[in-house]
Amino acid sequence: MWKQYLVVLGLFCSEGLYAWWLWTPGDSVDNVGYSPAQPLPFDHKIHAEHKIPCEYCHSGARRSTVAGIPAQNTCMGCHKFVATDKDAIKFLAKRFKENKPIKWVKVHDLPDYVRFSHQVHVAANIACQDCHGKVEDMSVAVQVAPLQMGWCVDCHREKQADIACLTCHY
Amino acid sequence: MKHPYVIAEELCADIAEMKQGSSDTHPRAHTAARETAVADPKSNTDANATIGRRDSKQPSNLNDSTDTSSVIGRRDSKQPSNLNDNTDTSSTIGRRDFLKYFSAGVALASGSCVRRPAEFAIPYVKQPIDQVPGVATYYATTCGGCSAGCGMMVKTREGRPVKVEGNRAQSVSNGALCSLGQASLQGLYHPERRKQPLIRRNGKLTAVSWEDVYLHLSAVLAKTGDATGKRVGILTSGATGHRHEFLREVLARLGASEDRLYSYESNTLPTQVATAHQRAFGRYVIPRADFSKANTVVGIGSDFLDQGVAKVYYAKQFAESRSLDSYTEFVQFEAAMSLTGASADKRVVIAPNSEIHVALMLADTLSKHPQVRGSADELQMIRLMLQRVRRQVEVSPETHGEINLLVQKLLDKPSLVLCGGSGNADSNSEALQTVAIAINIMLGAYGNVLNLERSWHVPAVQGDDLQRLRQTIDELDVLFIIDSDPFFTLPPAWRFADKVKGKTIVSMNSFPTLTDDYATHVLPVHHFLESWGDEQPLAGEWSLRQPVVRPITDSRQSEDALLWILATMQKPLPYADYRSFLQQRWRKLQQQAQDKGKFAAFMHANQERGVFINKVQGKYGALRSLDVRINDVAKGLKLSSPLDNRLLDGRGAHLPVLQEVGDSLTTIAWDSWVALSPATAKRLGLRRNDVLRVQGAGGAIEAALYPMPGLHDETVLIPQGNGYPDAGVSGGEAGGRAVVSKVSAGIGVNPLAVYSDVAGRLPVTSGEAVRITRTGKTHQLVVMQKESKLGNRGDIVKRMPMAQAVKHSGETKNLDKVPDLYPQLETAEYRWGMSIDLQKCIGCSACMVACAQENNVPQVGRNQVALGREMHWLRLDRYFHGELENPAVTIQPMLCQHCNHAPCEAVCPVYATTHDAEGINAMTYNRCVGTRYCANACPYKVRRFNWWTHKWNVIDDQDHNRNPRALNPDVTVRTRGVMEKCNFCYQRLRDGKHKAQQEQRSLRDNEVMTACQETCPTDAITFGNLHDKQSEVAKQRQDYRAYLALGGYPELGEYGLKTLPNVSYLAKTLLHAPADEHAHGNDHDEGNSDGHG
Repeated sequence: MWKQYLVVLGLFCSEGLYAWWLWTPGDSVDNVGYSPAQPLPFDHKIHAEHKIPCEYCHSGARRSTVAGIPAQNTCMGCHKFVATDKDAIKFLAKRFKENKPIKWVKVHDLPDYVRFSHQVHVAANIACQDCHGKVEDMSVAVQVAPLQMGWCVDCHREKQADIACLTCHY
Repeated sequence: MKHPYVIAEELCADIAEMKQGSSDTHPRAHTAARETAVADPKSNTDANATIGRRDSKQPSNLNDSTDTSSVIGRRDSKQPSNLNDNTDTSSTIGRRDFLKYFSAGVALASGSCVRRPAEFAIPYVKQPIDQVPGVATYYATTCGGCSAGCGMMVKTREGRPVKVEGNRAQSVSNGALCSLGQASLQGLYHPERRKQPLIRRNGKLTAVSWEDVYLHLSAVLAKTGDATGKRVGILTSGATGHRHEFLREVLARLGASEDRLYSYESNTLPTQVATAHQRAFGRYVIPRADFSKANTVVGIGSDFLDQGVAKVYYAKQFAESRSLDSYTEFVQFEAAMSLTGASADKRVVIAPNSEIHVALMLADTLSKHPQVRGSADELQMIRLMLQRVRRQVEVSPETHGEINLLVQKLLDKPSLVLCGGSGNADSNSEALQTVAIAINIMLGAYGNVLNLERSWHVPAVQGDDLQRLRQTIDELDVLFIIDSDPFFTLPPAWRFADKVKGKTIVSMNSFPTLTDDYATHVLPVHHFLESWGDEQPLAGEWSLRQPVVRPITDSRQSEDALLWILATMQKPLPYADYRSFLQQRWRKLQQQAQDKGKFAAFMHANQERGVFINKVQGKYGALRSLDVRINDVAKGLKLSSPLDNRLLDGRGAHLPVLQEVGDSLTTIAWDSWVALSPATAKRLGLRRNDVLRVQGAGGAIEAALYPMPGLHDETVLIPQGNGYPDAGVSGGEAGGRAVVSKVSAGIGVNPLAVYSDVAGRLPVTSGEAVRITRTGKTHQLVVMQKESKLGNRGDIVKRMPMAQAVKHSGETKNLDKVPDLYPQLETAEYRWGMSIDLQKCIGCSACMVACAQENNVPQVGRNQVALGREMHWLRLDRYFHGELENPAVTIQPMLCQHCNHAPCEAVCPVYATTHDAEGINAMTYNRCVGTRYCANACPYKVRRFNWWTHKWNVIDDQDHNRNPRALNPDVTVRTRGVMEKCNFCYQRLRDGKHKAQQEQRSLRDNEVMTACQETCPTDAITFGNLHDKQSEVAKQRQDYRAYLALGGYPELGEYGLKTLPNVSYLAKTLLHAPADEHAHGNDHDEGNSDGHG
């Protein structure tokens, strides 16, 4: 009888590990390396090579809590003329014409009980790359920082920023 | 292998699907919303992108895919379906068992170890220039909650209204709102709003399209009528803007007589006052009272703080006129306890429905006084009037004595008398207003304290509209009922239902009403936040209403629907829509103002400000006539049914937040009650919660007893507002189901059923003789405050004689100087503090609603409140002082005191509640494990525990889903097992600080306001930085009247609990202090007398 239980227990454990391995992106639980499939193969590298500043598209960063994924009209500002023969751009133009938005998968996603504002961090001269990594070298956006509380607090300590709970949790 | 963009298309597919139908009708969209609500409450915050496009000038022109919240943050919990393929049968257990265990294991594994699910971000397709996701946009509009017409400022995020505030530029609101106005977002997002129009077929309401409605109605309208014109009428609510003008045009175009427009408001006071002025002076106006110019104000059954003409406006006036250096005394004569009476310096209890007698006695006494004002002609007329009725006047000797005491005071300095309210709207209420005019003439109030120039613009309800409707209803075949619910708000004795039998009734309301049950056509129309419109609350002050959101359901603006019906009948009016009609009228306003600028610029400026102020010329003619007749009132117990100050006539009953806030004076939530004086209850041998049968000539109702101090022994008080039939109860003639909200269904009673009077021009809501019998049943009223007396804890509420407060008014004190073993808390640049002036608080409960809306505080329903599990972060505590016959009332807003030595912080085992460097007692929800030690430790009982993951408006076990769009995206939504409490609206502080940081400065005083402070009509709440000695709050904390709740008596060297709160109170001052009032404002006269019968 105990053998049967052992088998069941073993099954449970192995399944747990299997599920862990199956659904955990990247190498760790902190989401580092997370780079989900996106509806469009947007390439930050190409755009950065053309010397487009981050805030040209992510214009919310200095004004709002969220940096914002650019609206399609921002894309179409250039892509009406640029690289119009590419499949991705054709798709973009089609959806724009149909007035249909694009559903991006968030790469950097904080838990629901954390309040983060891009605005103050930009104002404090924190470079985008400090948290998002060298996006200008990324063909596919990938999470490089763990975005976990210890990581936040380390930087806040270093920069002598506020580390009271209420700073982020309210 | 699929082409990558086919996959991409699929990834985006559900957005496209949602675009097709209206998002709310789409079953999948609905499910999505539910998922979001349950799984991901904060999703709105990270709505760094939405698909709702908006244009600042035409907020109604939103992109047709609004339900962004249902899309953003939707969870895809990737359920592995192919795992069972990996089965391995080499174990000793059977295949079936193996599968069983395996699937159990998978379920467990996916429940515990799965990583956070993917969240999505959907950017705009075309982002409007002035919209930045994550940054709020504000729109000015006008509240449509009642006929007062307060200006409103609506905060929207990504095209969604998330909070409403008063508009500071508009003088009726002056930046404040009442509880009903604050709750309007719940009305807008209410899940029970109708999704499509309905037509009654074979006795059942069936869903149809708007085209069907237009075709059907135009066919009906084409058939109706004879040589004298179309037999069509419109019954609607009062409106001060251009709406009635438009409706008359519609009637004319239909070929019906223009006087077939009938209007009706449950609050009959404005109509009574205006009618009396019409008779006396020949002008249909309501003079505007300026309290600051008066030295004494006398109210005779007045309800200007409960409802009155415009409660928000008068609350502000009232509070401003009562500063220590120029104090306006307020004396109220009333039979029932109202908020107005509770705020009076002196309250005289009179017999119910004897207001007319008291007023006549006062007029008579004044007319005999040598100092009386008024011209010889006027006095002659007044004396003649008094002569005719003098013999009928009966006033108790005590009341007579009080009147004699008052007269000299009234004549010495400018004074004012305000009469009448919904709690005494009886057959004498028109006469009462006439006597009020006489008294105010003799006091010289007209042109001085009473402003006739910028007078109240009467909601265009004419006194005889309902009478006309009753007389001419047989001449109508079709009746449009717009924005009105006569089947609930008119006494059943009027037999409105019988009179409209067989007629085509078109019910056009933004929310289901009882009228729908009798209607042949039910047309869902826009909520006022989705509509165009205008109001002219004060003569010459035009307040614009503009849509602030794309329509939530498939509703239409009522005026536009009428235009469409006309167009379908081939009788179009020359307006594309109601908006262009308004533009035409506003063009005229611009011409009147001799503004030569471009109309677009004029309109834009008005839309931005929300209000346009025109010149007015106000003259009132000579007194023409004063005629008063007194109708006898019944002897014995009489019923009085005032409008509930939150729910009004029932229009607020479907808003859970208003139900849960509870009545300020009884603290009863989610119910109706019968209030009797404790003496009467004792005489009849009744106890609280006994169900009584209240039998009048019109009918009988049953409700539970609440013995209420301060009532006259003959008063039976049952407020209006509740009493919608239980769901499933057949209401209409055709046996259709009752169509009220799940929120209000079966709650309380509608006292109008008792009234039998049908002779009056306006419905009577007071003075019905009733018989009270005990049913033997009991019904547990949910009384939120169990104890009404302070007992020996005089340091909760402090009161002091006015003379003492004036004498020491220059003195300062330091509340923080408390001898203590613990070190004083050091705070940084800011130390946030709040001061609450008990002298100013009138108990209107707007702060509670504002707090709930701002901080996503859930409503928990009647049963949970009965268990003491209400979630209010801010509550109103009500205390009675003195004898039960006529107690003094103090209402104390109680919220987290943000103690510097907080008992809650010390006991938390996980540091979920800590003190922040700026004095705020912080609550970190994600740390909280729900031990509830802190709630036990808190002496103020302000900590609230989430016993459930509360849905938006779950009423007990009923399935009402939280509408994620109705949530404030800046505040975390708490889930089950977490403690929560006031955090001084930290999200507002943070926004303010970020802004200040951007401009490299510190926060200014009053730059950041808490939600309760911002909406407070009396400015009783002050919030700011205590380190800034110039700030208002720091000054108030040093005031002689300042004290800390449960802070003992520092002047006696006794420091109470030494919790050192950052919230301080200003003691209530007593103009007429009882003899035993202690010097330090302590109340030792309580304690021994029992609160309730």
